[in-house]
Amino acid sequence: MLLTILVLCLIPATRFYQIDEPVLRRFERHKEVDPLALHLSGEFAEGNLGTQQNADGSVTVRMIAEQYLFVPHCVLVPAGVPVHVRVTSADAVHSFAIEGTEYAVKASPGSINAAQLDFPSPGTYKTACREFCGPGHYAMRSEVRVVPREQFPALHGEERVDCAAR
Amino acid sequence: MSSSLLCMEKKGSTVRRDKRRVLRLIAATAPALLAGGFLAIKVYAGANGRVPSNVTFSPETAAAAASGDAFRGMLLARRCAHCHGDEGFSPVAATPNLAGMDRLTNWKQLQDFRDHKRSSRVMEPIAASLSTQDMADVVAYYARLPVFVDFQDNRAFPQAAPSAQQAEVATRLVSFGDGERGIPPCQACHGPVAYRPGAPALMTQNGDYLLQQLEAFANGGRTNDINESMRVITSLLTESEKQALARYYGGGLGAGGTMAGK
Repeated sequence: MLLTILVLCLIPATRFYQIDEPVLRRFERHKEVDPLALHLSGEFAEGNLGTQQNADGSVTVRMIAEQYLFVPHCVLVPAGVPVHVRVTSADAVHSFAIEGTEYAVKASPGSINAAQLDFPSPGTYKTACREFCGPGHYAMRSEVRVVPREQFPALHGEERVDCAAR
Repeated sequence: MSSSLLCMEKKGSTVRRDKRRVLRLIAATAPALLAGGFLAIKVYAGANGRVPSNVTFSPETAAAAASGDAFRGMLLARRCAHCHGDEGFSPVAATPNLAGMDRLTNWKQLQDFRDHKRSSRVMEPIAASLSTQDMADVVAYYARLPVFVDFQDNRAFPQAAPSAQQAEVATRLVSFGDGERGIPPCQACHGPVAYRPGAPALMTQNGDYLLQQLEAFANGGRTNDINESMRVITSLLTESEKQALARYYGGGLGAGGTMAGK
């Protein structure tokens, strides 16, 4: 009797394990970016991070979240224009949450999370990771500086801008 | 009209373009300065194709780095002992201790020296002379050397202990970081609490060497950290904090040493 119950309990566990593996493999196949090779080439290579000016006046911000940092550490955007954020993670799941707003962009390894944000007025917004990611999680903070449009430098072509003191 | 002129100039001469960028930077920063808040705006050419390191911490790299023969590595490491010490503890404080260093960490640094991603007049030619198998062997040897924390033995910690104030500052940064400034705790990646692939354990590292590297990361002298992690963190640290951290690890406090034991 007891043995039967034990065996019955084990069946769902085995089933779940069997279901899990193909799902994981499918996830591997649909990886948009390789989180281990972000630095080698592509959208999240070193020179591509930061704020880029688009032809229609909006800006695109590319960021990497990694343990336990956001790169670039200080994001500079103009006020009153659409801000397209594209975030990915180099390791664990993070979340780029902007204090004082409702914005939080998830950063998952292997996928690019895109969001359109809007900052109507200039100011400094503190940001923090909102997804527990490890022992340095609570110190994983950075900031977004929103400046008036005339103070935002005019960017040409592939130029990027940030306000991190590098 | 003026913008079209600028475009023509941009196509014509790159030197003038750089000059203009500096001017534009000043123009962009000046109003912010006048407004009272200092804002360091940095414009840089995007898509420059710079790669910090050719190494990725993939399972293949881990397997290659772990495939070495420690005995063969010991024979090869006779060349290394002159600077890095017979037992992996360097006699010179400006040269890193390698005893007990994780294989992947040393592997990445050797690869970066070979690919000229990290510059050193000494290490670049040495790394270029090693084959991939040699590198795996040498890192296997150093990973197997014991780390000893003996405060009577000056081989491990030849440096002076930090002052009480430095110890306090460094202990806070190592254990908790600084959340307000976004500085993660050192021990979350450099041990003993947690590690991250390629991050060296700092418990028995030389203080002088650490200070050199912290400053090199901060001023752009060293740029082989993947995804700019150390370049960002060192840019947030003050000069006295860097010194305190170097003294903290160099004085053996990171290995559980105490001020009294020194």
